[in-house]
Amino acid sequence: MEGVGQPAKMKCLEGPHLNQGPAKSCGSLAPEKELVSASHLEEEEENEEGEEDLDPDPDLAPGPEEEEEEEDEKDLGDPAVLSAVHNTQRGGLSSPGIKIPDVLGMSPTSLHFLWQTLDYLSPVLFRPKFPSANSPACHFGHQLLLPDPSLFCSLPTSWPPKFSLPSHLTQLHPQHQRLLQLQQHSRMQSPPAKKPWSQQPDPYANLMTRKEKDWVIKVQMVQLQSENPRLDDYYYQKYYQKLEKKQADDELLGRKNKVESLKLVTPYIQKAEAYESVVRIEGSLGQVAVSTCFSPRRAIDAVPHGTQEQEAGAASSQRLRVLHHIEKMFLQLLEIEEGQKDGPPQPCYSEQQSKQVEKLFLALKTQEQNNLEEAADGFLQVLSVRKGKALVARMLPFLPQNQAVSLLLAITHHLPLLVRRDVADQALQMLFKPLGRCISHLTFHELLQGLQGLTLLAPGSSERPVTVVLQNQFGISLLYALLSHGEQLVSLDSSLEKSNSDYTTWTDMVVLIAWEIAQMPTASLAEPLTFPSNLLPLFCHHVDKQLVQQLEARMELAWIY
Amino acid sequence: MNYMPGTASLIEDIDKKHLVLLRDGRTLIGFLRSIDQFANLVLHQTVERIHVGKKYGDIPRGIFVVRGENVVLLGEIDLEKESDTPLQQVSIEEILEEQRVEQQTRLEAEKLKVQALKDRGLSLPRADTLDEY
Repeated sequence: MEGVGQPAKMKCLEGPHLNQGPAKSCGSLAPEKELVSASHLEEEEENEEGEEDLDPDPDLAPGPEEEEEEEDEKDLGDPAVLSAVHNTQRGGLSSPGIKIPDVLGMSPTSLHFLWQTLDYLSPVLFRPKFPSANSPACHFGHQLLLPDPSLFCSLPTSWPPKFSLPSHLTQLHPQHQRLLQLQQHSRMQSPPAKKPWSQQPDPYANLMTRKEKDWVIKVQMVQLQSENPRLDDYYYQKYYQKLEKKQADDELLGRKNKVESLKLVTPYIQKAEAYESVVRIEGSLGQVAVSTCFSPRRAIDAVPHGTQEQEAGAASSQRLRVLHHIEKMFLQLLEIEEGQKDGPPQPCYSEQQSKQVEKLFLALKTQEQNNLEEAADGFLQVLSVRKGKALVARMLPFLPQNQAVSLLLAITHHLPLLVRRDVADQALQMLFKPLGRCISHLTFHELLQGLQGLTLLAPGSSERPVTVVLQNQFGISLLYALLSHGEQLVSLDSSLEKSNSDYTTWTDMVVLIAWEIAQMPTASLAEPLTFPSNLLPLFCHHVDKQLVQQLEARMELAWIY
Repeated sequence: MNYMPGTASLIEDIDKKHLVLLRDGRTLIGFLRSIDQFANLVLHQTVERIHVGKKYGDIPRGIFVVRGENVVLLGEIDLEKESDTPLQQVSIEEILEEQRVEQQTRLEAEKLKVQALKDRGLSLPRADTLDEY
């Protein structure tokens, strides 16, 4: 049969896109193609009236057949088209026009297109009998190549096919190279204008912008850069040298197309200077880890490097010093409390403990300051801190009376200041109980000293400290406690009345305080923590009835509670 | 290749249809839209293809973001040659059923094998105690 040789040719061409079998040679590919098409054929067997010899012979010797076929196949186009051509040939014995629609079921328009291509290709295909003496070729004649109809349907959209040529640098299998060449030639011969169905424009194209692509490339290039490429990238450099040499030789030999091979050029990027892997931000605690390419997740050192920057301003450093001091004293206090046996804290009897207490008291009182004023200031600063107040409150029971008294006096002398500073904490109350106990052991003289601080006018202010004190709960409580104690002392010991100077001072102070209380609007008068019962009688003794009534009215608030 | 001669880069593959094989054995087919320096991939109009014997089934998956380390290989799909395959496409239900059957037969065969070895006093090391590479 005439068509014997041609199917063989076509099959050979269809070799490249076979995905079956390990055989590489063209000839043996062909029978595999038969296997492939066999599965298609099974469906369409009914449609076929022609003979089908589905009996491939894989042991076929490709040999000379290959060479011949290839020569002639240069002009053949797409295998799918060729299959169609084959069909027309086969069915062309009668009327191809009728045959094809039956077989393929295509629309007239696409058929028309097919005819166009077929017309073009027909001179090539309808050639005289193929002088292949080899009998194996005859085998193929009986084969039927019926392409999948879907193949045709896909044809219009993918014609002409997108074909990315591998660069001349790529090493291809010789078979592959030959096949690609063939395809290339065929494409070149078919008119490039034949593009009625071009690729639909991809609406999602270029989601990755040029900038982004360049960025990725830049990152990859940076990773490739090296100071010494001859050492780092030895194989590529050698390969490129060989390639260049080969091209130079080719050019010398007269080869026309000298393609300039591109060389990989990595950008020269300045190596970053010594970087700070650990950054310290001012005012923050700890360190911030900066990730670099050398240390992407660097552990922060626990030990601080170098010196910490100087604290801004003396105020903050002062405050920190005070806080630090309080902490130290608290530790001492805890030791003392620990040493104390179970029971209420009291002035200790053991030698060691008294030493400890002494030490603590000195720490508090003097604060290692030589200047008395500064020492007092230090004490007040301690009292300004809530923890400092707690410290003093817990420490007082351990102190011997004289030391406790000194603290009390210091407190009363600076009571307005303390009151003002306590606005935020409102923690002075915790001092009341221990101070109260201390007050109850005061001597008259000491008491007077304490009260004096409150009644004396501070320089530069028209207001007596008492006024401020009365408005504060702790202040008023302390004041009442002092007065109460004074009254108690006086009532118990009539001899006190004899010592005129002290007693006069006392009466003056009582009167003054009473007057101040009377002056104070009821609303601003603070509510004392405890209201001693002997206050009113005290006032009765020293002030006139009217005032007493006023006082009573004001203090009645306290009575109720 | 014109970007970085002498190297392999995915830049040229963008907006083309690819077949991606993952480390867990899945096969994804989709348009490669975006990459980064780790070869993390963004696949568009992705389809997961399950192969059992000569049949395959496609499960449409939409957009995939694949971490680079999980890719075994990927290759460009030639669009016109794509349909020229001897494999037969079936429905999703069918292919999943086929897959299940295949899995089952494999497990049973494995069981028999293990039993046979046990009878002879041998034991295969467990997969989780083997090194992966």
